[in-house]
Amino acid sequence: MTLSAWWGRFQNHDRLALARLITWAAQGQQVAELWQRLKERPDSGPPARVIAFTGSGGVGKSTLVGRMLESFRAKGRRVAILACDPESPLTGGALLGDRLRMPAAADDEVYIRSLATPGGHEAVPEHLDLIVALVAAFGFEIILLETVGAGQGDTAARHLVDLLVLLVQPETGDDIQWEKAGLLEVADVVVVHKADMPGADRTLAQVQSLLHLPGCRDVPVMRVSSQTREGIDALRDLLETSPTQRHPSRWTSATLLRLAQERLADDWRSRPEALAALVARVQAGALAPAAAADLLRQPAP
Amino acid sequence: MSTSPPIRIVLAKVGLDGHDRGVKVVARGLRDAGFHVIYSGLWQTPEAVIRMVADEDADFLGISLLSGAHLTLIPRIMELLRQANLEHVGVFVGGIIPESDVPRLLEMGVRRVFGPGTTIPETVEFIRQQPRSHLAPA
Repeated sequence: MTLSAWWGRFQNHDRLALARLITWAAQGQQVAELWQRLKERPDSGPPARVIAFTGSGGVGKSTLVGRMLESFRAKGRRVAILACDPESPLTGGALLGDRLRMPAAADDEVYIRSLATPGGHEAVPEHLDLIVALVAAFGFEIILLETVGAGQGDTAARHLVDLLVLLVQPETGDDIQWEKAGLLEVADVVVVHKADMPGADRTLAQVQSLLHLPGCRDVPVMRVSSQTREGIDALRDLLETSPTQRHPSRWTSATLLRLAQERLADDWRSRPEALAALVARVQAGALAPAAAADLLRQPAP
Repeated sequence: MSTSPPIRIVLAKVGLDGHDRGVKVVARGLRDAGFHVIYSGLWQTPEAVIRMVADEDADFLGISLLSGAHLTLIPRIMELLRQANLEHVGVFVGGIIPESDVPRLLEMGVRRVFGPGTTIPETVEFIRQQPRSHLAPA
């Protein structure tokens, strides 16, 4: 089926079309066309609120995202979850297992999608911005993004989202660990998760002492337990009312360079023959990779 | 790594069947073969599985059944797939299925039934040989 046909079905609120267009976006196919169509689309309603959840493996991201889904649904919000898991750098395979920690009823106002992030890259998949735009255009008000939890790479999600929630858990290293991780600097909300476990208060105090230094911006720190539901609804209310952080001042040299890379890659992907010819010359040993990269920096022929 | 888009496979446990060692081994094996595997977790309803297949844009649905309820659950799943316009999804079944029931499952549209002793390469080979009609944009 053609892009136009799928787009028509997407406009008619066909979930299969949403799923297929996300597949294409995730594969880097038809990216420019999809952006174009999204731009031409009449604006419908307030923009979606995109909230990312990050933190190291085992801290309970999937479980908390599942709880937030229930909590937002209880308020009648239409909620989408984008759950990212890493792809093996060796085989390209991925085990996307986060769904099993989320409620599974076939609810029309809920969309859950697993996404693989390329091995050795960032904590979010390529073209995530397009995927988010598609999900929002489909009418989901709240988009919960679960990142891979790869540590510093997660800051890559920063410029795509309205709010970044960092999860920490009791008994995980000392204060210096968090300083090093650099994540506290970009978090809009810090959740001390598994607050039913011993040591939660100590962790809470440590995070607060790190964050509430003179001259720092005010970052809320919350005690939350997915087990006992402590703090779940309070966190939801905070996430719903916090001023959105997607602001032009958030752009940095790193995020701008990343955008430039992506746009250049998109240009070349739209000219597969020229790209393939260049690759063939490199593979044949006729052209050094660095020289080929220099050619790639010129406008595509 | 191949350049073709990765095949997406939902692996599901349906109904009152609490044994998922087998499906987890299969999930690991298919991942190592380069597929993107989405595991549903235990005790799913047929409706929830169909929604998962739709939302994940899966190419295949693998159902693990050790409960003996396959002649109740599989027809329901195949019917729901049809209703959801998901006929293009390749369905395979694994677990404890009596030989005598296999022809009936195949008649319902199941593409393959894998019994005990199936190797991972056998499953991988089966998936690689199936047509993937729906992925190209044009």
